[in-house]
Amino acid sequence: MPYSARYKGLLLLLFVVMVLMALVNVGLGSVEIPLQDIFSILFTNETTPGSSQYIILEYRLPKVFTALFTGSGLAVSGLLMQTLFRNPLAGPYVLGLSSGASLGVAIVIMGASVFGAGTAVLLLSKWSLVIASSIGSLLVLLAVLMASAKLRDTMAILIIGLMFASLTAAVVSVLAYFSPAAQLQQYIFWSFGSLGNLSWQEVSILAIFWILGIVVAIFCIKNLNTLLLGENYARSLGVKISTNRFLIIIATSLLAGSITAFAGPIAFVGLAVPHLIRQVIPTNDHKILLPAVIFGGAILMLICDIAAQLPGTEYTLPINAITSLIGAPVVIWLLIRKRKFIF
Amino acid sequence: MCLVLFSSCKNEGSKIVYSNPTGEAVPVEYAKGFEINQFEGYKLLTVKDPWPKADKTFTYLLAEENASIPSEVQYDLKVTVPVKKIVVTSTTHIPSLEILNEEESLVGFPGLDYISSEKTRARISRGLITELGQNEAINTEILISLDPDLVIGFAIDGNNKTFNTIKKSGIPVIYNGDWTEESPLGKAEWIKFFGAFYNKDEQAAARFNEIRNSYIKSKELAKNANSSPTVLSGSMYKDQWYVPYGNSWQAQFIKDANANYIYGDTNGSGSIALSFESVLDKSKDAAYWVAPGQFQSFQQLFETSSHYKQFKAVQDKKVYTYSNSLGASGGVLYYELAPTRPDLVLKDLISIFHPELLPKYQPTFYKALR
Repeated sequence: MPYSARYKGLLLLLFVVMVLMALVNVGLGSVEIPLQDIFSILFTNETTPGSSQYIILEYRLPKVFTALFTGSGLAVSGLLMQTLFRNPLAGPYVLGLSSGASLGVAIVIMGASVFGAGTAVLLLSKWSLVIASSIGSLLVLLAVLMASAKLRDTMAILIIGLMFASLTAAVVSVLAYFSPAAQLQQYIFWSFGSLGNLSWQEVSILAIFWILGIVVAIFCIKNLNTLLLGENYARSLGVKISTNRFLIIIATSLLAGSITAFAGPIAFVGLAVPHLIRQVIPTNDHKILLPAVIFGGAILMLICDIAAQLPGTEYTLPINAITSLIGAPVVIWLLIRKRKFIF
Repeated sequence: MCLVLFSSCKNEGSKIVYSNPTGEAVPVEYAKGFEINQFEGYKLLTVKDPWPKADKTFTYLLAEENASIPSEVQYDLKVTVPVKKIVVTSTTHIPSLEILNEEESLVGFPGLDYISSEKTRARISRGLITELGQNEAINTEILISLDPDLVIGFAIDGNNKTFNTIKKSGIPVIYNGDWTEESPLGKAEWIKFFGAFYNKDEQAAARFNEIRNSYIKSKELAKNANSSPTVLSGSMYKDQWYVPYGNSWQAQFIKDANANYIYGDTNGSGSIALSFESVLDKSKDAAYWVAPGQFQSFQQLFETSSHYKQFKAVQDKKVYTYSNSLGASGGVLYYELAPTRPDLVLKDLISIFHPELLPKYQPTFYKALR
């Protein structure tokens, strides 16, 4: 099996690149910290003077882990959705998870001005946004699951997800219309996504959801491979389509829902990484694809975060602007170069 | 944008010869955004910066009831003065009305809950001021039915559809550009703009002079301090820290209070978004932190981000906010009153940075974070 050996080599390469990118990410930021200091902070118990120790351990390191989990989690969600719907345009948010989350967050941030709870600016702790986002995603998920139990056709779920997105967008725009500028800005900024400012506690919670989601996804590997042959064929092979669909939706929700709750709706990564990986590793075997998109998603997210931090300057850019700015040209270039779309 | 011109009054009667064809300029010392020229029976009010980088100026004709206006006078809109019924659209306009004892003329406002002033709140609770809807979305029908003599609006740019509709109904909408002024006294001087509509130019000038003198006196007092502490301002949203520019209105107060604002050398308008890393690196040891956004208590601060604990000003409990001075319905007093009363803002800051200079002083806006 020389060709699977080559894939294993590629997987190893992706893993090494990911680790390297993580180290580069820790090393770069607005504040210049000498390499020597970084190593002594990370690998020894010596304390360094000034704020560099805090910046590395309490700000950059959690950010690196957040980038790892969000990038890989969204990429896996995107892969699962693309396979489930056999649609190359599907991404982690096709079920309407981010729409639900955005509605939850919009109600918390902007609802007060509409439901007339006085105009005192609500100061939101991070948890209220995380909880609002989770509840929003969860409600949409329940609706999708109820619908999917009733529907034989998987494609119909896609349409339902789109309808949810339209519905929530409409409600959000009504809320936005009546909101004062400051609250509107808060909501817009949430929608830009952000990897920074998560404490270790939050990163740990994200990690738990990530592990659960990935474990469920691993359980689906065999069925994912048969799904690519078509639902009827999969049924004839004894795959329980509805149970399988349920598991895939649960995995996606655990990953995309928790990521949206902590980092906001991060665009593009989930849709693009599976395509990027298929161009590099032209296979449809999810045993290979799943770890490959985990590493690939993490790499893309880390690179985007490095770019967003604008190392050496005092400024940063919103992560969502960067994911598409960097990601889209790469996908276009790959497709044109290969002249062949692998799906 | 095109302005529809209205002159609802016809020029009747014969022209009279004017003794002051060039008019007499009302002195304006600090404000860059408006000019007033007084003629016989009428005034010309020019608003130069209705919004940032505006490429047009507006000339408003403020005329007495029966004044005859020379035909060569060019203007965008005509208002008959003194006005009796007015609608204003920003809480920053309300202190000027009150200082001129004209708060009774206010008949409508968008977003009544934002108003903090007790005088005006009392009139709201007696139902004398009509709610016109929320901020940008003014309810045009209700406004037109109130039939005010004048609407004082403000525009982010020249395309406000609502104001255009109101103008078409024959109610003059005048743009107030006080918020584009960059100096504390420049903002405050817009009281003269309001004075012009009530024929209270002298009163407005006298009250402004009091505010100016008080400000200059406080600034002189601050120079006597024996130290100039370092100060941080602004707050974090997500991992971006928003700090006011060194040439901004907020930063000038800090400088005039004889303190060393960490980002005092930056230039621009609004606030700069900086990465958390660089702010921590630069400001970790700042002695004071003023205006930390909407935060009212340390608990809120830490709930939002535990990173704040790294700052010396937080550890020393030297964080001062204006978000704890609220009106009866939750409006932030600072947003309403600070532009008109920069002297009070400056005294607040001096009493924080140099308590020995103003012992027993009771701050108006800035209070310690709970």
